[in-house]
Amino acid sequence: MYTDFAPILIFSVLSVALILFALFLQRILAPTNKSALKSSTYECGEEAIDNARMQFNIRFYVVALVFLIFDVELVLLFPWAVVFKELGLVAFVEMLIFLLILTVGLIAVWRRGDLDWVKMEVPYARGRYAQLEQPLVDEPAPEMAAELEA
Amino acid sequence: MPNIESLSFFLPELFLTASMVVIILVDVFMGPANRNRVVRQLSLAALAVTAYLLWVQTDPGEAIFFGALAVDPYSRFFKWLFLIATAVIFFVTPYTSQLLKTARHEYYLFLLAVMFGLFLMASAQDLIIIYLSIEIVSIGSFVLAGFLKGDRHSNESSLKYVIYGAFSSGVMLYGLSLLFGLAGSTNLFDVQRALASITGPGDLILVAALLMILVGFGYKISMAPFHFWTPDVYQGAPTTITAYLSVAPKAAGFALALRVLGIAFGDNLQFPADQWFPVGNLAIGTVIALFSGLTMTVGNILAIQQNSVKRMLAYSSVAHAGYMLMAATILNTQALGAVMFYLAVYLCMNLGAFLVVILVHNKFGYDDIDDWRGLGFKLPLVAVPMGVFLFSLTGLPPTAGFVGKVYLFSVLISSQQFWWLAVLGVLNSVVSLYYYLRIMKVMFLEGEPTGETVSDHPAMTGMILALMVPVLLFGVYWSPLMGWVRASLKIFTPGG
Repeated sequence: MYTDFAPILIFSVLSVALILFALFLQRILAPTNKSALKSSTYECGEEAIDNARMQFNIRFYVVALVFLIFDVELVLLFPWAVVFKELGLVAFVEMLIFLLILTVGLIAVWRRGDLDWVKMEVPYARGRYAQLEQPLVDEPAPEMAAELEA
Repeated sequence: MPNIESLSFFLPELFLTASMVVIILVDVFMGPANRNRVVRQLSLAALAVTAYLLWVQTDPGEAIFFGALAVDPYSRFFKWLFLIATAVIFFVTPYTSQLLKTARHEYYLFLLAVMFGLFLMASAQDLIIIYLSIEIVSIGSFVLAGFLKGDRHSNESSLKYVIYGAFSSGVMLYGLSLLFGLAGSTNLFDVQRALASITGPGDLILVAALLMILVGFGYKISMAPFHFWTPDVYQGAPTTITAYLSVAPKAAGFALALRVLGIAFGDNLQFPADQWFPVGNLAIGTVIALFSGLTMTVGNILAIQQNSVKRMLAYSSVAHAGYMLMAATILNTQALGAVMFYLAVYLCMNLGAFLVVILVHNKFGYDDIDDWRGLGFKLPLVAVPMGVFLFSLTGLPPTAGFVGKVYLFSVLISSQQFWWLAVLGVLNSVVSLYYYLRIMKVMFLEGEPTGETVSDHPAMTGMILALMVPVLLFGVYWSPLMGWVRASLKIFTPGG
């Protein structure tokens, strides 16, 4: 059964060899004419103005996560759609349940206000835009509350 | 068994999933007032119903979902352990001062999700389910470890956990893919059939696959040399979560590792098989014995130097993984029973010890051992149970830890193999005596009896005392627990 993988081995060896060959070819054929401008990072674009390692707003990550979830959902929907006719009702119901659970996730994200970029009116938002009228945390257990005050 | 018929044997997990969905909806649609309490109570109700469904669950007699999940007494034993651990954590969370300043409603949901993953880990019989269940548990645990958002230690612990978790599950996934490549099936019994017929170049790949899978399991049960995350995560995570991580995912890791190794690398088609299947020139028992010796030695020696009680208990939990691996070197019913018995005992004593840490932290904000000075005089009702837990962790009679350790050692003695490991285990127990008794000494022998006692939460103290009862009871009368373990080890064969 290992011979089944022989094409993959040949393919990977060939692809590496091809790249090396191309690099070698341009090394001997192409004229080398180095200048400071040529070796700058974006020869044809904007000049770099700052380090790329800066702080991002954490909301980008939330959006990325939400995107990822629905991206994976699509990946799972495609093969299902292809064989949908053969699978019949059971698979249809199963996929509906799957979508339902994901929709609950979307509802939760929406309701928590993570889809609003500027959080003006979301009750539990924190930070600059927060309009906190109610406390975030409810009352601690009675015996602990006395202690926290003490 | 086909999918639709399987559903009726999957009710506890199905109910858990459905209740999580409902609780999420309730959570997001109710106002912030009281939501911690409401979510906690709903989740406790979900736990209770899950326990009831688990109680009335019948044996299907074969694996469900086309052989993907085993619903056998073995998995049910572990599911009860997870339920107990989760319930204890739910119970003590509102009395943990660390968590009072954060919104805790999502914490309970994550605990439920982790418990769902643990349930799957206990039943998994298919390479894909194995990987998925470990990931469900891990991802929930990452979030829970970092739950104290403002605390840098908590952030650090979460990040370290993510990086270690991602790396080791990546390695394990590669190992599983090699195993799938060799066997052509993801079912563990098919894997065993295929492995038994392999000769030639497959051996080397098989050894690689075995070691890579051991990396993944080693990370879950904090086996050395894959234990490096343990002290940092245990120290930084909220203490309730530390307590949970030290018992439930570890028990699940053992349940899964023993099932996977016991089926796929056993010499016949039943669980547990009678002997290891020889993988090339590699004796699996010897590999596990080496890991076990290393794990217990590393855990105990590093625990000696710790000044933080949480960190010390973290290394102690590494050492205990080593003790349990000691029995796992042999593959038979007796060894499995010894590990299961020890895990049940370990659940009570380790949860108890961590609850004491929580209570002391609530009262005094202490974590250093030196700050525990004179605790025996200030909080006798808590210090005495702590003493019992520590004696039990050391393995001194008349506590359940002693009985558990006797069973672990008797596996090695009766199989007449790995004498050196048994000797090493005894030596390690002596080493562990030092650091466990150090806490005892600080609590009872140092400090002055000033006569003043501190009042403590009746709920927390009650929980600690309740956990002390099984530790003492099973130390003198352990046959009910052992009977349950034996009943859970009905040999499981694939049925077709």
